[in-house]
Amino acid sequence: MSALTFDAVRKTFGTAVALEGLSIDVEQGELISLLGPSGCGKTTALRIAAGFERADSGTVQVRGNDITKVPPHKRNMGMVFQSYSLFPNLTVEANVEYGLRTRGIPRHQRHERVAEMLALVELTTMATRYAHQLSGGQQQRVALARALAIQPEVLLLDEPLSALDAKVRTTLRDEIRRIQTSVGITTLFVTHDQEEALAISDRICVMSQGRIEQLGTPTEVYRHPTTAFVARFVGTMNELPAEVTGGNEVAVLGTRLSAPKADAFAQGTRVKLLVRPEDLTISESGLAGTVTSVTFQGASTLVGVRLDVLDRLVSVDVGQGAADHLTIGDRVGVGVNGTHAVCEAAE
Amino acid sequence: MSTWRARLGRLFPTLVLIASALFFLLPVLSSARFALQKVPMVLLNWSNVFDGWSLRTLSQPFKEDNFWPTLSLSLKLAGGTVALTLGLLVPTALFVHLRLPKARAFVEFLTVLPYVVPPIALVAGVAAFFRPNARWYLNSEYALVPLYVVMALPFTYRSIDAGIKAIDVRTLVDASRSLGAGWVTTFRRALFPNLMSSLVSSSFLTATVVLGEFTMANTLAKRTFPTFLYEYYGLKAQSGTALALMTLIGTTALLGIFTLFTRRRGARVPTRF
Ligand SMILES: Nc1ncnc2c1ncn2[C@@H]1O[C@H](COP(=O)(O)OP(=O)(O)OP(=O)(O)O)[C@@H](O)[C@H]1O
Ligand SMILES: [Mg+2]
Repeated sequence: MSALTFDAVRKTFGTAVALEGLSIDVEQGELISLLGPSGCGKTTALRIAAGFERADSGTVQVRGNDITKVPPHKRNMGMVFQSYSLFPNLTVEANVEYGLRTRGIPRHQRHERVAEMLALVELTTMATRYAHQLSGGQQQRVALARALAIQPEVLLLDEPLSALDAKVRTTLRDEIRRIQTSVGITTLFVTHDQEEALAISDRICVMSQGRIEQLGTPTEVYRHPTTAFVARFVGTMNELPAEVTGGNEVAVLGTRLSAPKADAFAQGTRVKLLVRPEDLTISESGLAGTVTSVTFQGASTLVGVRLDVLDRLVSVDVGQGAADHLTIGDRVGVGVNGTHAVCEAAE
Repeated sequence: MSTWRARLGRLFPTLVLIASALFFLLPVLSSARFALQKVPMVLLNWSNVFDGWSLRTLSQPFKEDNFWPTLSLSLKLAGGTVALTLGLLVPTALFVHLRLPKARAFVEFLTVLPYVVPPIALVAGVAAFFRPNARWYLNSEYALVPLYVVMALPFTYRSIDAGIKAIDVRTLVDASRSLGAGWVTTFRRALFPNLMSSLVSSSFLTATVVLGEFTMANTLAKRTFPTFLYEYYGLKAQSGTALALMTLIGTTALLGIFTLFTRRRGARVPTRF
């Protein structure tokens, strides 16, 4: 039985459709990211889970119990918000204690639990501070401690990192994952940052316009996107014109290569072939072009190449050291590996 | 040329400040001379600025029979108006913010309407309606309270609204509810402490409106402090002016105290719950 289930949840605001029959099963202890562009309905899904919005139709269940009509304060869900949400009149300690007081937990147990939670988010020394005396990252950690203190059945995180700067984002992201796995809590994590979703999730639910585009592990979503939308949204893609030559084969500028699911198109159809930078290689043969940029990224190097025939820029991700001899203006060839490519109908 | 301009630019704000200070202070000083100098008014001039000052007139008003009853009625009316205003407007403003954000501009517009209706028109209408229909209402000591609520609306609603805008009510309410608090607890623990300073200043605005209102009280023949002040001034101009001066100073002092209080709140005095 799933820890949290959305069953055909539909939600409209006036004439705008926010969710179009959303169905997800979140397993016990699993972290699922809701990933998608702005306005695709991520927050709405989360707010329906928390009880702040009522679904037009469909149900939400926790361990098989229908909670669709249960008000938020009786749901036992912990939530962390995008904007800073600590009660400004209370100390860190009192913030974490808030949910325990509303539950009428005796004083000594409350104090024990608060201490435990603050230790978990490594903020024990800040217990008596107020929100305005904390950094953004610290505030979100307190918010996390506050949400976890009540031992919720589900943890809901709505872009908790989006207000933070890049460095803090990655550390806190990893910390959230560490805490989530150590507590073993079922979690829905909303983000529009694909890198964040790939790093933190057990499964990713890619959404667009209120619908699920793909629900799968980070590897599945990245390596085997089922739709062109997912392919484009998760990671970067190069776009090459191609023609389906029958079966799972396509021709890119005269070069034949195999591409999965090309057989969904009739032979002779013009398509766009979406290929990741790491599926392109710099080689002697291949598509001729000129190097326009070499961007060192630590573990790998991104090489921009302008292809002669297309007059189009592609980016090639080459492994460590392999691009050391390249400089801007060099003539190179670009090889294409179609194994993970996605075909999209050309309009 | 440019230094001359820069100097004028620096001087100008100071000049404006001095001019406005004089604009407010001179009438007050003139009243003070009239009230506290034992010199007939027609003879007051520059030569006798320092002659015959005495605080005797200051104590006169307190000996009047009507002083304490009218002051007490005005204070009661102020208290009642503050209570009714907060009771009505806080839930309304919160509701509009949380549930009807689109109606915000409209509600704000409604609340400034009393500003354009002259008090005399309002009170005449109310009297004309209630005299034949519900005389008991007009006879009540507190008949003025609802009228004052309406009259103070443009100030009080804005002040409460500003307080709500200054905090992220929506997120605080959601956070509190997700932590298991119902509406009452949420209001008491999460909202009220953070709205405190705006509620205090709104109450103060309401109280000053009530304590200074004359037209409505006079029309409905209620013996409030401003009506007493008016009558008393008619009978004894000098001690009447002295009383007006004390009222002015008292109100200013209150304003100062409340400003200090709200400042301190802004610095977040720890609240336990
Ligand atoms: N309270 C509301 N009233 C009207 N429309 C709303 C409301 N909340 C959301 N919507 C609409 O529903 C759709 C989904 O909104 P939602 O906030 O769920 O998107 P999101 O995926 O969280 O976007 P973002 O990444 O910008 O936060 C949007 O088109 C939005 O305009
Ligand atoms: Mg959102």
